[in-house]
Amino acid sequence: MSASAIVALPLLGAILPPLFARAGRTPALLAALAPSVVALLLLWGQAASVFSGVPEEVRVPWVPALGLEWALRIDGLGFFFASLILAIGILIFIYSRGYLAGNEPIGTFYAYLLLFQGAMLGVVLADNLLLLPVFWELTSLSSFLLIGFWCHLPDGRRGARLALAITGAGGLALLAGLILLGEVAGTYRLSELAARQELILASPLAPAILTLILLGAFTKSAQFPFHFWLPHAMAAPTPVSAYLHSATMVKAGLYLLARVWPVFGQTDAWVVWVTGIGAATMLLGATIALFKDDLKALLAYSTVSHLGLVTMLLGLGTPTAVFAAMLHVLMHATFKAALFMNTGIVDHETGLRDLRRLSGLAKVMPLTAGLGTLAALSMAGVPPLNGFVSKEAMLVEVLAARWGGGWPLWGLVGLAAILSAAYAFRYFSALFFGPLRLPEGRIPHDPPALLWGPPLVLVVAVVVLGLWPSLAEPLLAAASAAAVGAHAPWPELALWHGFGAPLVVSAVAFVIGAAMVWHYRALSGRVLAWALPFDGRRAFFSAQEWLVRGAHRLIARVHSGVLGRYVLLLAVVSLAALALGWGMGEGWRPQRAPTPMNGLGLIFAGVGLAAIGLVVRWHHKRLRAVLLTGAVGLVVSLAFLHASAPDLALTQISVEAVTTVLLLLMLFFLPQHDTEPVAKPRGAAAASILIGSVVGLLAWVMMRNDGPNLADYFWSRSVSEGGGSNVVNVILVDFRGYDTFGEITVLGIAALVIYALLQGMQEGVAREHLHAWRFPFALSPTRHPLPFAVTARVMLPFLLMAVFYIFFRGHNAPGGGFIAALLLALAFLIQYMASGLSWTMHRMRLDAHVWIGTGLLVAGATGMAAMGLGAPFLRSAHGEVHIPGIGPVPLASAMGFDLGVLLTVFGAVTLALVQLAHLGQLAGFLPSRTPMDPARPKPSEKEG
Amino acid sequence: MEFERPDFSLAAAEIFVAVMALVVMVTGTFLRRISRELGYALAQLTVIGAAFITVFSVDDPTVRYTFGTMYVSDWLGQVLKLFIYLSVFASLLYGRLYLIERRLEKAEYYVLMLLSMLGAMILVSANNLLVLYLGLEMMTLALYALVAFDRDNGLRSEAAIKYFVLGAISSGLLLYGMSMIYGATGSLDLGVVGQAVSLGAGDELVFKFGLAFLVAGIAFKFGVVPFHMWVADVYHGAPTPVTLLISSAPKLAAFALAVRLLVGGFFGLAETWQPMLMLLAVASIVLGNLAAIAQSNIKRMLAYSGISHMGFVLLGLLAGVTDGGHQQVFNAYSSALFYAVSYALMSLASFGMVLLLARTGFEAEHIDDFKGLNRRSPWFAAMMMLVMFSMAGIPFFLGFFAKFAVLEAVVSAGHTWLAVLAVIMSVIGAYYYLRVVKVMYFDEPMDRTALIASSETRVLLSANALTLAVAGLMPQGLMAVCGYAVLTSF
Repeated sequence: MSASAIVALPLLGAILPPLFARAGRTPALLAALAPSVVALLLLWGQAASVFSGVPEEVRVPWVPALGLEWALRIDGLGFFFASLILAIGILIFIYSRGYLAGNEPIGTFYAYLLLFQGAMLGVVLADNLLLLPVFWELTSLSSFLLIGFWCHLPDGRRGARLALAITGAGGLALLAGLILLGEVAGTYRLSELAARQELILASPLAPAILTLILLGAFTKSAQFPFHFWLPHAMAAPTPVSAYLHSATMVKAGLYLLARVWPVFGQTDAWVVWVTGIGAATMLLGATIALFKDDLKALLAYSTVSHLGLVTMLLGLGTPTAVFAAMLHVLMHATFKAALFMNTGIVDHETGLRDLRRLSGLAKVMPLTAGLGTLAALSMAGVPPLNGFVSKEAMLVEVLAARWGGGWPLWGLVGLAAILSAAYAFRYFSALFFGPLRLPEGRIPHDPPALLWGPPLVLVVAVVVLGLWPSLAEPLLAAASAAAVGAHAPWPELALWHGFGAPLVVSAVAFVIGAAMVWHYRALSGRVLAWALPFDGRRAFFSAQEWLVRGAHRLIARVHSGVLGRYVLLLAVVSLAALALGWGMGEGWRPQRAPTPMNGLGLIFAGVGLAAIGLVVRWHHKRLRAVLLTGAVGLVVSLAFLHASAPDLALTQISVEAVTTVLLLLMLFFLPQHDTEPVAKPRGAAAASILIGSVVGLLAWVMMRNDGPNLADYFWSRSVSEGGGSNVVNVILVDFRGYDTFGEITVLGIAALVIYALLQGMQEGVAREHLHAWRFPFALSPTRHPLPFAVTARVMLPFLLMAVFYIFFRGHNAPGGGFIAALLLALAFLIQYMASGLSWTMHRMRLDAHVWIGTGLLVAGATGMAAMGLGAPFLRSAHGEVHIPGIGPVPLASAMGFDLGVLLTVFGAVTLALVQLAHLGQLAGFLPSRTPMDPARPKPSEKEG
Repeated sequence: MEFERPDFSLAAAEIFVAVMALVVMVTGTFLRRISRELGYALAQLTVIGAAFITVFSVDDPTVRYTFGTMYVSDWLGQVLKLFIYLSVFASLLYGRLYLIERRLEKAEYYVLMLLSMLGAMILVSANNLLVLYLGLEMMTLALYALVAFDRDNGLRSEAAIKYFVLGAISSGLLLYGMSMIYGATGSLDLGVVGQAVSLGAGDELVFKFGLAFLVAGIAFKFGVVPFHMWVADVYHGAPTPVTLLISSAPKLAAFALAVRLLVGGFFGLAETWQPMLMLLAVASIVLGNLAAIAQSNIKRMLAYSGISHMGFVLLGLLAGVTDGGHQQVFNAYSSALFYAVSYALMSLASFGMVLLLARTGFEAEHIDDFKGLNRRSPWFAAMMMLVMFSMAGIPFFLGFFAKFAVLEAVVSAGHTWLAVLAVIMSVIGAYYYLRVVKVMYFDEPMDRTALIASSETRVLLSANALTLAVAGLMPQGLMAVCGYAVLTSF
C-alpha cells in the first residue's frame, strides 16, 4: 500500500499549503514539505524489497472494462526516479520560500508544485499502460499552471501554451501508442511487456507503436525537432525551471524510453532513430547554448543538449549504455538544478540575467560565485566532479557502440563535449569574474540561507559523487537492471580510469572550449545565424495562425446564414444518399404495368403543369398566385375523379373552395404584391427541377412496385367490419378513426390559434394600423347587391338539405362529415359575402368555439362509449334502424363520430371567417348602406 | 382482432407528464397572478415526479411492451429518460433568473418545456414508426416555439424560422422514409420491420431508399454534417436556457431514434447504413472541430463542438457493426450511449456557466466575456475549467473516458484510421476549449461585477461540473449503467 501512499500524499497534500498560507509563508512551506518528506521516507522504506528484486505492487481494479487499473510498482527504475523527484522536490520547496516575493500567493504555488510532484511520481511508479499516460498528461497540466504562474508576463502565457500544446499532443500520441501496445501484447501491465517482446515485434503495428511512443517521449524530453518549447517554458519562476525543466519532468521522456527498452531497445529502428535524434539534439542544443546571453536560456539549451545525450545513450542498444544513461540522469539532475538555483539567486539579487550586462559578481557574492563555479565546472566535465564521471562513462559507451562503427558518432560526441565545455566555462567566467559590472542602483550580496542552502546541498552531492561515484552504484545498478530486464556486468564506477581515449577527448575539449570562450565575439554572429532557424516556435505559431484563418475561411464558405442555401444543401445531400442507395441496390424492374392514360387525362395534366408554372412565374403577385393555386387544386381533384375516387375529389374541391375564399379575404388586408426576393441561391432553379424530378421518379418507382396492397384489405373488410361501403369514409371514421380524432383536434387547436392571432391584431398597434388603413381602390356603394343577397338566402335551405344528404349517405356513398362540414361552411360563407357579417352573425347565435368544443366532445364520447362496452376506443357498431315511412336506414355508431367531425370542421372554418370579418370592420369596411332587411336597425346606428 | 387493455403503468411517467403539462397550462390561464411561481414549481415537481416514477419502474430488467407493441419499456429507455429529466431540470433551474430578468417567465414557457420533454420521452420509448414520429414532432414543435419565445427579438425569430423550416423538411424526409418502409413491409411495428429487413422480405431497393431518408432524418436531429446547418444559428439565436435544453435532451432522444431505427429496425441492412454513418461522423468531427476554432461566440463554439461530439456518438454506433463477437457489439453500443450521456452532462454544465455569467441586458455569450473570470470568481473559473477539460477529452475527466470507450470500440471493429482521424481532430479541437481556459486565467477581466446567481444554481452547477471530474475518476458506475441498459435492451 505504501506505493499508493507515496503517489497520493503529494496529490492530496496539495490542499494543505493554500490553507496554511494564511498563517504565513513558513507554515506554508512546512505544509508543503510534510507530504514530500513522508513520501520520501515511505519510499526509502521500500529500499530492501527494491534491491532484493522483489518489487512491491499495488493493484486495484479501476475501469476493468477498459483494462485500466490502479497499478503501481516500485522497481529499481521507479525507485531511482522517485527518489530523484522527491529529494530535489524538497530542496526546491525550501528554495522557493526564499525566492518568491512576499506578495505572491505562495500557497497556490506550493499546491501546483505538489500536484506536479504527485503526477510525476505516478508516471514513474505506474505499472499500467493506461495509468501512465493519465499521470503523464497531469504533469503537462500542472506544468502549464506553473509556467503560467507569472501570468502577468505575456511571455509566461505564451510559453505555457506552447509547452502544453507540444507536450499535451505528444501525450496523446503516447496514449494512442500505449493503447495499441496493450492491444497487441494482450496485457496492459508494463511489467509483463518484456516477456511478450516477440509477440509485439511480430505485429504489423509495431512500427506505428514505436513511432507513437517515441513521439510522446521526444516531445516531453524536448528532443529535436520538438526542442523549442523548453526554452520558452523558462519564463516560469526559476524554482519551476529547476524542478520541472531540468531535473524531473523533462526526464519523463527518458524514463519512458528506459521503460520500453526491453521491448524495442535492440531493434534497428530504435537504434537508428533514438541515437540519431539524441545526437542531433545534443549538438544543436550545445551550439545554441554557447551563444545565449540570457543565463536561463543558456541553461535551457544546455539542458536540451544533455537530454539529447541521455537519449543517444539509451538508443545505443547495449545494457551498459543504459547504465551510463542512468548515471548521467543522476549527475545532470544534481549539477543542473544547482545551476538553475544559482541563476535564480543572481536574478533575485541583481534583477538581471544577461551575461552582457553582468560580470565580476564574485567580488560581491563570493558564496554564490563559488557554488555556481563548482556546478558549472561539473557541467563542463572537469574532474574530480560528478559531471566528469558520467561524461567518461558516456564516452566509453559511445566508443563501444555496435552501430555506426563508433567513429562518426564519436566525432559528434567530441564536438558536443567541446561546445559543452565552452558554454560551461563561459557561464562562470563571464558572470563571476572579470571587472564588476552591475545594473544601476543595486548592490547585490549573498542571499539568506534559504536561498543558498539548497544549491549548497546539491553542490556537495556534485563533489561527493565525483570523488566517490561508487556510492551511487547500487541505486544505478538496480535501476538499470529494472530497465533492461536483466542483470548485466555493470561498468565499475571510479573517478580515475587511467589514460585512454575518453580522457584525451576530455582534455582536448577543455582546451578548445577555453579557446572558444576566449574568441567568443568572433564566433557568435556566424554560428547563431546557422543555428537559429531551427527554432520551431515560429513554425508552431504560424501553424496555429494558419489553422485559425483556415477555420474562418471554412466558416465563411459553409455557413453563410442564408436559409435557402441550407435547404439546398439538405436536399442535395438527401439526393446523394438516395443515389448511393440506388447504386448499392441490385437494380430495379417495374413489377406493375402503368395505368393507361387517355387524352383527357393528358389535357388535365397539361393544365395543371401550366398552372404550376404560372404560380412560379407570378409568385410575388399574390392575387394571381392564390387563384392559380386554386386552379392547381381543381386539377388535382379532377385527377382524383379520373382515378375513380369521387370521394376524394369531392373533398378536394370543397377544401379548395373554402381555402381560396379564406385566402382571398385575408389578402384583402395585405399588400397586392410581394417584394421581389432579395437573393436567390445560385442554381436554385436547377436544383428545384432536379429534386422535383427525383421525387416524382421515386413516386413512380414506388407505385410500380408490387407490395402488399392496402386497398384490397380495406375493400374486403369495409362492409363486414365497418358497416359501410364507402371505403374512404369507413377508413376515416373507423379503421383510422383514431387518426381522424387527432386531426380534428389539431384543426380545433389551429382554429384557436387563428383566433388568438387575429384577436391580437385587434388591439394595440395593429388596431391603429387598421384604422389608419384606406382601401387602395374605390368601392361600389352597393357592396351587397340585392339580387345576390336574395339568391343566397333562397339557396340556404337547399344547401342545408344538401349538407344533410351528404352527411347521411356518407357511410355508403361519396360524402361524409368532413365534406358536409365544408359544404355547410360554404353555405354560410355565401351568406356572409352576400349580406355582410353582421347580418349573418345576427342569425348564427352559437359562437364558433362552441361548435368546435361540441364536435370534439361528440367524437370523443362516441369513442369512449366503445371503450365503456369493452371494445377498443372508437370501435364502431352498426345495424339497420327501421324508421316508419322511410324504411330501413343503415346506421353505424361511426355516424356519431362523423357528426363530431362535421361540427369541429365547421366551427374551425367559421371561427376563421368571423375573425377576418372583424378585422374588416376595424378597417372601416362598414356594412352596406342599402339595407334590405326590415328587421335591421337603422343605418345611423352603430353596427356590432 | 383481439382487444387487449393496454398496461398503462408502463407509460405512467408519460401520462403523468402529459397531465401535469395540462395542469400547468390551466393554472397558467386561470391563476394569472401566481402563475409564474406556480408554473416553475409545478414544472420542477413534474420533472422530479416523473423521475421517481421512472426510477421505481426500472427494477425489472425485462423488456416489456404495451399498447400492443407500440410502446416499449426497457432499461435503455429508462436511462435515457432519466438524463432527459436531468436536462430539463437543469434548464429550468439554471435558466430561471435569466427568464425573470428578461420577463420571459410565463406559464406557457413551462408548458412547452414539459411538452417537449414528453415528446422526447415518447420518442425514447417508441417501438412503432408512427409513435416514434409523434414523439419526435411533439418534442421539436415545442422546441421551435421555445426558440421563438422571446419573439420581439429578431435574432430569436430568425433562429426559430430556420429551425422550423429545416426541421420541417427533415421531418418530411423521415416521414417519407417511414412511409416507404411501411409500403414495403405493411407494418409500422419496428420488430416486424426488423424481421422483414433481415429476412429480405420486401423490395431491397425500397428498403434502401427508405433507409437513406431515415438516416437523413436522424442525422438532422443529431445535427451532424451535412445536416448541421441549423445547429449554430439555433444555438446562437435561442434564449440560453433553451439552447441548454436543445443541446442535451434532444440529442439523447436522437440517440434513441438512431438506436431504435437503425439497430432495432435495420440491422439487416447494417452494411448499407454503416458507411453512411461513417461519412457523417468523419465530416462532423472534421468540420465541427475546425469551425469551432473560428468562433468568438461561445454559444456558436459549443454548437460546433456539439457537432463534433455527435460525430463521436455516431462512431460508437457504427462500431457496433462488426464481425467480432457479441461482446464487441455490446461494447460499441454501450460506449455510444455512454458518450451521449456524458456529452449531455458536459453540455448542461457549459451552458449553465454561460447562464451564470448572463444578467439583465447582458448575454455573456462571447468568449471574451469569460476574460479574467478567475479574478471575479475563482471557484466558477475552476468549474468552467473542469468542464472545458472534460469537453476536450483531457485524461481523468469524464469526456476522456467517453472518447476512450468509443475509440476502443472503433479500433476493435477494425477502423483504426477512423480512430486516428478522430484523435487528430480532437487534438486540434482542444485548442478552442483551452482558449476559454486561457482567457479565464490569463486575461484581464472586461468587467468586474460579481456574479449574480441563486444559491440553488450555484450548488447544482458546481455539482454538475464536479461530476465531470468525479465521474472521470470513477467512470465505472456510469459505464456499468450504460452497459446494463444496452445488455438488457437487445
